[in-house]
Amino acid sequence: MSDTEPAAAGRSFEANRAGGGDISAAAPAREFCAFLRERPSFLAGYVIILAVAATGLLAPLLPLHSPVDADAKAYLIAPDWSHPMGTDSAGLDIFSRVLHAPRVDLAIALVSTLWAALIGGALGAYVGLREGAGGVRGVLATLLVRVADVVQAFPVFALALVLVAVLGQGVTSIIIAIGVVNVPIYLRLMRGEALIIRNQGYVEAARIAGAGDAYLLTRHVVPNAAAPILAQMSINTGVAVLLAASLSFIGAGVRAPTPEWGSMIAMGFQNVVTGQWWPSIFPGLALALTVFGLGRIGASILAWSNPRERARPSRRAWKAFAGARSR
Amino acid sequence: MPHTLPGAHAVSRRSLLKYGAAAGAFAAAPGFSGSAFAQARAKTLVIAAPATPLSLDVENSLSLGTIDTVAAFYDYLIAFNTLPDPAVPGVMREDLAANPSLPGGYNLKGKLAESWEFAPDGKSARFTLRKGVLSNWGNELTAEDVKYTFDRKFEVKGAGSFMTFVMGLPNKDAVKVESKYVVSFTLEKPNPILMIVSGHLANPIFDSVKCKQMSTPDDPWARKFLDTNVAGFGPYALKSITRGQQLVAAARPEYYGEKPYFETVIFREVPASATRLQLLQGGAVDIAQALSPTEMKSLAGSAGATVTSIKASQMLWVELNTAFKPLDNAKVRQALNFAMPKDEVISTILQGFGTKMTAFMPDFYPGATSKFYAYDFNIAKAKALLAEAGFPNGFSTTLTYNAGNPTEEPIAIMYQTALKQIGVTVELKKLPAGTFFNALTTRSEPMIFNLDAPWTPDPGFALNLYFYSKSFVNFSNYVNADVDALIVESLSTLDEPKRMTAVTKAQQILADDAPWTLIANPGFHLSHGKDIGGIVYYTSNRLNFQDYKRV
Amino acid sequence: MRVLRYIAMRFAFAVPQLFGVALGAFFLLKLIPGDPAPMMLGPLATQVAVDKLRAEMGLDQPLPTQFVAYLGRLLHGDLGRSWQTTNPVLTDLAQRLPATLELVTLSLLIAVAIGVTLGLLAGRRPNGIAARIADAYSVAAGALPDFWLALVLIFIFYSVFNVVPPPIGRLDFAVLPPATVTGSYTLDALFAGDLVLFRAAAAQLVLPVATLAIIYIVPVLTMTRTAVERLNEADFIRFADAKGLTPGRVSRHALRNALPAVVTVIGVLYGTLVGSVVLVEVVFAWGGAGQYAVSAVLNADINASLGFILMAAVISLAVNLIVDLIALAIDPRARI
Repeated sequence: MSDTEPAAAGRSFEANRAGGGDISAAAPAREFCAFLRERPSFLAGYVIILAVAATGLLAPLLPLHSPVDADAKAYLIAPDWSHPMGTDSAGLDIFSRVLHAPRVDLAIALVSTLWAALIGGALGAYVGLREGAGGVRGVLATLLVRVADVVQAFPVFALALVLVAVLGQGVTSIIIAIGVVNVPIYLRLMRGEALIIRNQGYVEAARIAGAGDAYLLTRHVVPNAAAPILAQMSINTGVAVLLAASLSFIGAGVRAPTPEWGSMIAMGFQNVVTGQWWPSIFPGLALALTVFGLGRIGASILAWSNPRERARPSRRAWKAFAGARSR
Repeated sequence: MPHTLPGAHAVSRRSLLKYGAAAGAFAAAPGFSGSAFAQARAKTLVIAAPATPLSLDVENSLSLGTIDTVAAFYDYLIAFNTLPDPAVPGVMREDLAANPSLPGGYNLKGKLAESWEFAPDGKSARFTLRKGVLSNWGNELTAEDVKYTFDRKFEVKGAGSFMTFVMGLPNKDAVKVESKYVVSFTLEKPNPILMIVSGHLANPIFDSVKCKQMSTPDDPWARKFLDTNVAGFGPYALKSITRGQQLVAAARPEYYGEKPYFETVIFREVPASATRLQLLQGGAVDIAQALSPTEMKSLAGSAGATVTSIKASQMLWVELNTAFKPLDNAKVRQALNFAMPKDEVISTILQGFGTKMTAFMPDFYPGATSKFYAYDFNIAKAKALLAEAGFPNGFSTTLTYNAGNPTEEPIAIMYQTALKQIGVTVELKKLPAGTFFNALTTRSEPMIFNLDAPWTPDPGFALNLYFYSKSFVNFSNYVNADVDALIVESLSTLDEPKRMTAVTKAQQILADDAPWTLIANPGFHLSHGKDIGGIVYYTSNRLNFQDYKRV
Repeated sequence: MRVLRYIAMRFAFAVPQLFGVALGAFFLLKLIPGDPAPMMLGPLATQVAVDKLRAEMGLDQPLPTQFVAYLGRLLHGDLGRSWQTTNPVLTDLAQRLPATLELVTLSLLIAVAIGVTLGLLAGRRPNGIAARIADAYSVAAGALPDFWLALVLIFIFYSVFNVVPPPIGRLDFAVLPPATVTGSYTLDALFAGDLVLFRAAAAQLVLPVATLAIIYIVPVLTMTRTAVERLNEADFIRFADAKGLTPGRVSRHALRNALPAVVTVIGVLYGTLVGSVVLVEVVFAWGGAGQYAVSAVLNADINASLGFILMAAVISLAVNLIVDLIALAIDPRARI
C-alpha cells in the first residue's frame, strides 16, 4: 500500500525506526528502571497505575460500605466522615464505589486491548506476509485490509455504541466493542512491520534458503513490532478506559449498580446543576488520574524504544493518543 | 435573571414583532418597560417540555407532547364536570362520582354536544350537537364530523382501534348520522362506560371537511396532514410546529366556549430536566414539565416558582410476568411485593412526591379499595413466603427499567439490595425509552417497571386494561378466570351496586395473586411560576393549558 | 493534471469504502433488538396496526431486499425517515450538522491558535519555559474525559460563579434563532447584522468550545512541537541560526516547514471530532448531530443511525482529502 492511500494511511502507526528499533525487546529490566528513575514524570504513571490496580484488588478487603448495596437512609449525603465522598441518589457510597471501580474499568481496558492486539497483530502479520502474493491467500489478505479500512471509516464512538446496542448491556459487550474498533490499529501496525521485513534483502535471502513464515514471524517481525505494539497498547488502554466510561455515561455500558466511573458520573450528572457535585466529580477525578497514568506508561515505553525522543512523549504517541481518543 | 444579556429584550422585541410570539425572558429582563410587550408576555404561556409532540394525530401517537396539546386544538363531545380539589386549594379536578340523575349516570357536561341521551339498556346513545361551532378552518361542526372521526378510527387502525373496542362499537355502521346535528351510537352489548369514554382524550372530533380536502389517493384519511397540522374545534389553533424545537398555539377568537386566558402558548422542547428547572427558576418559562424529585424539591426556596402537587392516576409498579418461572407462583409474587421498600423509596428517591400504592388502580377512582393491601416492607414475611413457595434459597431473574425515567434506576438498585436479603438475585437491565416500551409491550422481560395510568376513571375499565386475560396491556400475562368473569360483569351491567361488588371482589383476588409489585402513586406535579393559576387536574394527566391563567 | 488524477484515485478508493460502511452499518443496526413499528404507535397499538405499519415501512421484507431498497433510495439522496422525529433523516441532519460543525470548527481554531504557538515556542527552545508549560499542559489535559471536564466547567462557571449562561443548547431560550444562511447561529447573526443575537449565540458557545479546545490543544501542540524539534536539527535551520537571522524569522521558517505535519493532525482531528463530540453535545444539550446519533442508536432508530454514520464517514474522508491536498500545496518539498 502506498502512502497515498486515503483515510487510514494518515492515521496508521507507521514504524518508526529511528535509532535502531529493537533495543527494548532485549533490554534488561534494570536498565529500564534506571531510565524511569531519571524521569519522575514517567515513573509517576507506573506508581499511579499500580496504586489504582492495588485499590481495585484490595477494595473488597477494606472496611468499606458495600459498593452495590443501597442504603435507603443515606440519600445524596454530602461528603462526611462516614461517607468520605458522599452518597448518590440510590444511597450508594461513592468512596467505596470509586475504589471498587478499577476492577471493572481496568479489566475492561486491559482485556479489550489485549484481545485487539492479539487478533489485530495476528491478522496484520498474516496480511503483511501474504498481501499481493496472489491466490486465495493473497485475496484474503487484501480483503482483510479493506475490511479494516471500512471499520476505520466508521465514527469510533458510534460503532462502539452500535455494537453494545446489538450485544446488550454488560461488561462482555463493552470488551468486544472496544476491541473491535481497535483491531484495525494493530492490524496496520503489524502489517507495516511485516511489509518492511519482507522487503529486506536478508529476509529474502532467508526465504530463498527455505525459511518459513513461522521463522520470519518469530525471529524478525514480532521482535521488531514489539516496542511499537506495546506502546500502542498502553496508550490504547487509556483510550479504552475513556471509551468504556463514555459508553457507560450515555447508558450503554455496564449494568447498574456495577461500580464503574463513567456510569457513576452519569448517575450524578442530573444532580450537578442542583448543587450536589460529589456523585460526579470524584469518579471523574479517578478516571482522569488513571488515564493520565496509562498515558505516562505509554509515553515511557515509546521514549525507551527511541533514544532520540526519550525526554518527552513522542509525536507518535500523542498522535495515536489524540487520534484514537478523538474518534 | 442573571443570564439575560444586556439588550436581550431588543432581540426579543424584534422576534416578537416578527413572529407575534412573546419570547421567554421578558418577564425577567431587567429594565424592560414597554407596556405593550409586557402585556403580550403576560398573555403568553411558555412551557419547557421534554419533547415536542411526535405527532398531532392521536391515531399516530399518544406521546407526552401529544397528550399535552391535543385537547387544546380539538374539542370533545362531552367532559366531566369539575369541582375543587379537596386537598389542594385553588386546584380543580374532575367530578368522578356517579350521578344516576344525569343521562349516562355521570357528572358530565356538554362540550361539542349540547345534549345527549343514553338508553336505559346501555346499548345506544344519541348526541345532539351545538350549532354554529366553527373549526380552526372555519367549517361548521355537523354530525358528519363525528361520523368521520369514528370511521377514521376503523380505517386507520391506529390507537383508535382501542377506543372503538372500549366503547363497544362493532363496526363503522354503529355510528350513524341521524340529522345534520344529531349522531347516534348503537352497541351490541350494554356498556356502562360508553359515556365516559366518549369524552376520552383520544376521542377528539375532527373537521371532516378540511380532512377530506387534505386527503390524497395514497392517504385517504389525511394522516400526513394531521401529523403536523390540526383540524379541530378546540380553543386553540396551531400556529407553527418545528419538531424537536417548539410548538406555538394561538387562541381562537371564534371559539364557541369560554376563551382561554393565554393568547399564545409556546411549547418549547428542552431535553434536559436540569435546564428546564433553570429556565423556570429564571422566569424564562412559566411551566417546566417532568422535573426530577430533587429538582422539584429545590424549588421550595425559589422566589418565583413553585410546585403544585395533586393526587393523580399515575401508578408506578413492577410487572411480574407470570409467563416466567418462578413468577408463575403467587407466593413468590407476594414475597417480591413484601421486599419492595415502598416507604423509603417514596421518602428518598421520590422526595415525598407521591404516596404508597395500595390498590391495583388509582385509589381515588370510584370502586377502588385498599382494604386488601398487606404489602408493607417486610423481609421476614417475604422470606417465609419464598420458603413456602419452595424457594428457601431464592432464585435469579432480571429487572428491567427505563433509562428515560431517572427515578427508576435508583429504585431498581434499592429493590435489588432488598431482594438480596431474601436470596433473590436480580440483574438490572437498563433500556432506553424506545426499546423499553418495546420490551414492555412484547412482554419479553420477567420483571419490568411500568409507569402508567388508566385514563378513564372507572374501576371496570382500569381492571380490564391491566388484568383481563386478553387485554393487550396486560403486560404481566395475568390469567385468572374468576377475575375475567368479574371484569366482564362490571363492564356489561348498568347496575351500579352490582358493578361495585364485582370490582371489589376482583381487587381482593388481585391482592392475593399480586401480579404487580406495587410501588407508588407518584402523583401529578406541575412546576410553574407562582403567578400561574387556574390549574385543573384530569385523569389523563395532561397539561390542559387552556385552563391556566395568570393570577 | 496530476492533482486531478490523485483526487480521482482517492474517490475510487472512497466509494467502495463507503459502500462497505453502509453494508456493515445496515446489517449491524438491524441486529439491534427493538421493532420501530410498535414504538412509533405507542403502547395502545393493536397488532393489526403494527403489522400494517411494518408492511408500509417494508420491515416485513427479508434483510437483503431491505438493504437493496435502502441503497436505491440512498442514490436518490433519500436517507429515509427517523421514527423518533418522524422527519426525513436528511432534514434532521441538515438541521443538526451545522451545530456540530460550528462547535468543532471553533474549538479547533482555538486549539490550533494556542497549540501551534505554544508548540512552536516549546519546539524552538526545548529547555525554555514554554517547553515546561507545554510538558505540564500536555500530560494534564491529555487525560481529561471531555464529558467530565464539561460537567466541572458547568459546575464552576455556571453553578458557582454564574458567569456563563446555563447549558441549554445553542441559544438562550429568550432569543429566536436568526434566519438560516450557513446554519451557524453566530455567523448568521452577523449576516443579519444583529450583534445582540451574535453575543447571545457566542455566550452559549463559550463552555462547550472551551471544553473541547482544552483537550484538543494537546495533539496540536505535540505535533507542532515535534515537527519543529525535528527541524531544529535540519541543516537549513541550523544554517539560518548560524547566519544570525532573528529568532522570529527562523521561527517562521520552521513553522512553514512544520506546517504539513500540523495540517495533517488538524485534519485527522477535524474529521474524527465531527463523529465524536457526542458526549459534550449531550452534556450541553447542544442538539447537534452527535446527540441525534446517540438517541437514534439507543432507540433502534435505524435510518437515523445509518444516516449519521454515513455522514460522519463522508465528512471524515472529505476532510482527509482536503487536508492532504493542503499539506501537499504548502509542503516546500511538495511533489506528487
